Amino acid sequence: MVGPTASLSNLSRADGSASFKCPTTGYKILGSVNAPVELPGRRDALKPEEATVEVFIKPGNTTAGVGERYVEGIIRTMLQKLILGRERGFPRRGVVITLAIVGGGAIARGDSYLTLLPSLLHTSLLALLSGAVPMSMTYSTALVAVSKSNVIISNPTLVEAKAASSLHVLAFSSKGHLLLNESQGRFDFDTWKTVQQCAHALCRGVDLPEVDGDIAMEAQGDSGTAEGFVRETVENHLYRDYAWKIDTE
Amino acid sequence: MASPLVLLPGDEVPTRHLPSNKSNPLKLGPGLRLLSQPSSTSQNTQSQHVLAATQAGILTTDVKRNTVSLLSFPNRRYIPTVNDLIIAQIHHSSVDYFHCMVTPHTAHALLGQLSFEGASKKTRPMLRQGDLVYARVLSIGLGAGAEVELTCVNPATGKSEPGGLGPLNGGMVFDVSTGMAARLLRASSSSSEQSESIDGLVVLSELGKKLESLGGFEIAVGRNGKVWIDCSNAGESAVKATIAIGRCLQTVDEKGLGPTDQKKFVTRILREMKLVS
Amino acid sequence: MVTSAAAPAPSSRPALSLPPSQFARLQPHAYLLAHLSPPSTNNQPSIRANGRAPTQFRVTSANAGSLTHTNGSAVVRIGDTAAVCGVRAELLHTEDIASWSVSQATSSNKSPRSVDQTEELGEQDDNETIERERAHIEDLNLLVPNLSLSTGCAPGFIPGSAPSSLAQSLSHQILSLLHSTRLVRADDLRIWYQPPSMGPEELERHNEEEQMDVDTAQNDPVEESPREIKAFWVLYIDIMIISLAGNAFDAAWAAVLAALRDTKLPKAWWDVDNETVVCSDSISDARKLSLRGLPVASSFAVFEADAAAGWRAVVIPEAAEMKAQRLARKGGVSERWLLADPDGYEEGLTQERACVVVDKDTDGKVIILEMEKNGGWTIDTEDLQQLVDLSSQRWEDMKRILDEC
Repeated sequence: MVGPTASLSNLSRADGSASFKCPTTGYKILGSVNAPVELPGRRDALKPEEATVEVFIKPGNTTAGVGERYVEGIIRTMLQKLILGRERGFPRRGVVITLAIVGGGAIARGDSYLTLLPSLLHTSLLALLSGAVPMSMTYSTALVAVSKSNVIISNPTLVEAKAASSLHVLAFSSKGHLLLNESQGRFDFDTWKTVQQCAHALCRGVDLPEVDGDIAMEAQGDSGTAEGFVRETVENHLYRDYAWKIDTE
Repeated sequence: MASPLVLLPGDEVPTRHLPSNKSNPLKLGPGLRLLSQPSSTSQNTQSQHVLAATQAGILTTDVKRNTVSLLSFPNRRYIPTVNDLIIAQIHHSSVDYFHCMVTPHTAHALLGQLSFEGASKKTRPMLRQGDLVYARVLSIGLGAGAEVELTCVNPATGKSEPGGLGPLNGGMVFDVSTGMAARLLRASSSSSEQSESIDGLVVLSELGKKLESLGGFEIAVGRNGKVWIDCSNAGESAVKATIAIGRCLQTVDEKGLGPTDQKKFVTRILREMKLVS
Repeated sequence: MVTSAAAPAPSSRPALSLPPSQFARLQPHAYLLAHLSPPSTNNQPSIRANGRAPTQFRVTSANAGSLTHTNGSAVVRIGDTAAVCGVRAELLHTEDIASWSVSQATSSNKSPRSVDQTEELGEQDDNETIERERAHIEDLNLLVPNLSLSTGCAPGFIPGSAPSSLAQSLSHQILSLLHSTRLVRADDLRIWYQPPSMGPEELERHNEEEQMDVDTAQNDPVEESPREIKAFWVLYIDIMIISLAGNAFDAAWAAVLAALRDTKLPKAWWDVDNETVVCSDSISDARKLSLRGLPVASSFAVFEADAAAGWRAVVIPEAAEMKAQRLARKGGVSERWLLADPDGYEEGLTQERACVVVDKDTDGKVIILEMEKNGGWTIDTEDLQQLVDLSSQRWEDMKRILDEC
């Protein structure tokens, strides 16, 4: 299977940016992060104790509508908990994330946004990392569909997703917590449990037996998982940026 | 070590990577924070505190100074920090202050009309819109919307310390990444014979050697990702030389050239521009 | 104020003289925490500041058909949150749909009658039916929900202002739930026309026949020429939140559901002579929508005991570790509570939310239609199982309430 592709820091004016392409759904997202930025004239956004997280989604072919507002809300709620908005320089300022859908099919009014959500979340994470925004954990997400005949399809294509009886997006933190679950369609709880295990395997690989601190961390460098992909992308970029330093050491 | 350790937010710093210098306290650089175990689980015998990353970066330690820090992405926006040397551009002036641009799209920084070496009401420099100054960040204020204040003079001594602060006349400014600016500053602050090895940056010493015949050049590096270059001694080819140096620095920054490549590139550029035969 | 309150107390302890309402405003988190974790000396159960048990929903009432000039309407009140929903049906002629002739040419090859028959059989929809349903309801936008919060429902919402992002995302959530549950059957919204297969002299007689019920005309074996869709009903579903005290989605969805159950569409047919759709004005001819199931939404919030958790630089335990800790602490002091149907006060104190939409089939088996969880990391699989169980209990209550209204 062809894995996703991503690149970091492709915009020069933004503090952090990333582009992400999901091969199965065909979506290509370009994300930028500016943080911390002043939000002048936004009295509602000036929180005295922490930073305000703002997410904007720009569809490629139309203006943003109610569907985008809804997904913006999902992403904002999830990131607000992970971004350390109380670090120095962040309170009373904003973390502004802009995600532009630059490739892939259009999403019509009232359509499910679930097929797009994992790509959006991965792009935001990579952009936040490249913008060096302090976060408490990272995360990884997966899209899982359950077909009419109760077959679990991981990373479904758009056609499979449309024909599926239920569609699930799950996000796991880098410490294994279930951060986000968005499920739509007709299913029962046992199906969801299987879906959850499947998504967990996609995001973080098979559960390793609990080993002591450092060893466990290096053991999970599996590149097949979504988490491994994020780590690999960041590592490659940092190694390239600091090639001068690594070479001289 | 073969490849340096990259940490992502939430990753703990493995204890074996910490410097084992016990004489003075460990200092934390940016991107790291000290976490304590939640009180409810304190019964276990493990250490109560762990160091965890809050950004993605390469873990670096300095055994001599007993510091540990995280090298994050070098292209990040400049955020003023006290004592940074920066190159600012005058936007407009008011009675007491020059209003300067440090980074695009941010509030102007203030530079006192009298914050220059030997400046008084009569002798202060008459800077106009667009002029450049090499200045030090004096204070960044507190909280959001606070004003950044710059100075070109050490208030204690009345001298422009470190040397070279003040208006920059002539020359040209090039944009580089903030990471490159920091490297250039580190390279130039160390003594010249040592600078060969500093941060793998040989481009400046190489350029210095090659352009010595033309009368050398002046350079000022601002932490805000600006480099000012002046070759007014070079006479006829002053403009050419300035452009050549700027191009060398920008290419080294963008392409991440290694020391040998830097040397090759400098030679190539200078030959292309017909500065050195 | 302070002295008068302290006067009856024999021991002068000014700290306790603060009336509860002020304490609730000054220290909202501590106030709710004190309610939820009563001292172990008195055997009080844990109770919320609003007097409910953690998993108890607010008193819910529903009233259908209150608006007379709509096709269907309902008022649903959950505690102090009240939502009014009105459904208005308007006609969409197929000749006004730009792409109609093109899309029809590709999809009308299959006999429409066979499709209808499978649909009447009940839930055994084949893929083809679902595809047709989707094509009609979703692509033609036959359901148009719009939620409005700018009714001055809460101090933050000024009447006459642009729809807030909360209102917009609730509108989308309702629309996407209408689509994903396929609550409204596309066939209820179609207006068919059966072209006569007889000579022009019989046309007059035929017109009278057409006024009979569509179903009898369709079962007539003589007529063989294919039927065609002449128009659709478009349902404009407008929801006004007239009072907002938390949990707007449950109230809004319940109002939509009750209003759709109340909706009656007038009998409509294609009049060949005038080339237009004609509706009957007799109420007895109007028929109700036959909805698919009864999806009921239940929302939950997680209240964390530690108010300053976000400030504390502590290690976030691994998920497995966290579970082990929780098991070890079972029976002791809880560190977080799952609150069903949070009110406005509780919503301000919680970040983690979950929403479950369930339905039950005829055998009483629980079907989950939507399950959302966001904003934190304390809800795990076991908690979600518990929430689904709570939601299915809630389904019974809501079914009773909606059946009565």
